[in-house]
Amino acid sequence: MRGLRWHDTTENAKGDEEVTAKIRFFARFRELLGTDIMTDVAPGMMFTSLITTIVQKNPEGYAAIFDENDAFHEFVILMKNGKRVEIGDAAKTPVMDGDEIAVFPPVAGG
Amino acid sequence: MIAIQTSDVDIGALIYAAKKHGTGAVVVFDGVVRDDDITEMELEAYEDVAIRELEKIARDATEQFRLLHVDIIHRIGRLTVGENILIIVVSAGHRPEAYAGSRYIIEEIKKGVPIWKKELTKDGGRWVPGEHGHGKGLPESIPKFSGIE
Repeated sequence: MRGLRWHDTTENAKGDEEVTAKIRFFARFRELLGTDIMTDVAPGMMFTSLITTIVQKNPEGYAAIFDENDAFHEFVILMKNGKRVEIGDAAKTPVMDGDEIAVFPPVAGG
Repeated sequence: MIAIQTSDVDIGALIYAAKKHGTGAVVVFDGVVRDDDITEMELEAYEDVAIRELEKIARDATEQFRLLHVDIIHRIGRLTVGENILIIVVSAGHRPEAYAGSRYIIEEIKKGVPIWKKELTKDGGRWVPGEHGHGKGLPESIPKFSGIE
C-alpha cells in the first residue's frame, strides 16, 4: 500500500504531499497493538485503509478489530479528533493532516 | 467538579460544597471495586473525550432535573477491592430531582463515556465487557426517567 510508513524523526521522511496522523488504541486493542502510533499517510488515504495497514502486522490485533470478511466488527468504535466516525463511513472518510484517530471496544466505565 | 484522576476524593467535603442555597436533598453515588475474586482493577480512559462527555452529561442533568450542583469524579489507574471508582454528588431542591438526576448521570456514563475496566486476577486479567457501544442508547432493561417535569 502506498504512502504509509512508521514515523521516524531521524529521517526527513515526510514529503510535501504527505500528511501525518496519530492512531490511538484503547483497552484490549491497546494491549494488542500499542498506542499513540504516528504515521505518515498519503493524501486521500481512507480511515479503513490506514487502520487495516496498521493492524494487519498483528494477527491477534487484526482479529480483534476485523471479522473474517475484513470488515470492522460491529462493536468497534472509531473517532476522528474526538468525534465519532460510523463504521459504515470509515471507508470513505479521508485521513487529514494532524488527525487523531481513536479505535476502541465498547466502553465500560462507571 | 468534573474530573478523571488517579487520586481519591473527600466525599464529605463534596457533600458540604453541594449544599447550595435552596438545597433540600443531596444524593451521593459511590461506585466501588467489588470483590469478584480479583486482586485489583485497572481503569483506563480516553481522557480528553471522556472529560468533555462528563461535562455534557452534567450540563444535561442540571437542566433536565433542575439540579443545583453536580460533581462527577471518575478514577483511573489501579484500584484495590473496596476503593472508590466513581463518585457522583448532586443536590436539588427536592429528593425526586436529586435521585433522578444521579441515576441519569450514572446511566449516561455507562452508555457512552470512553472508560474501560480490567479485572486483575491471580491468573492474569479480563476486560470488563461494555454494555454499550458509544452513544447507542439505553438497553431495554434500563427504566426511562419519568415523573420529573
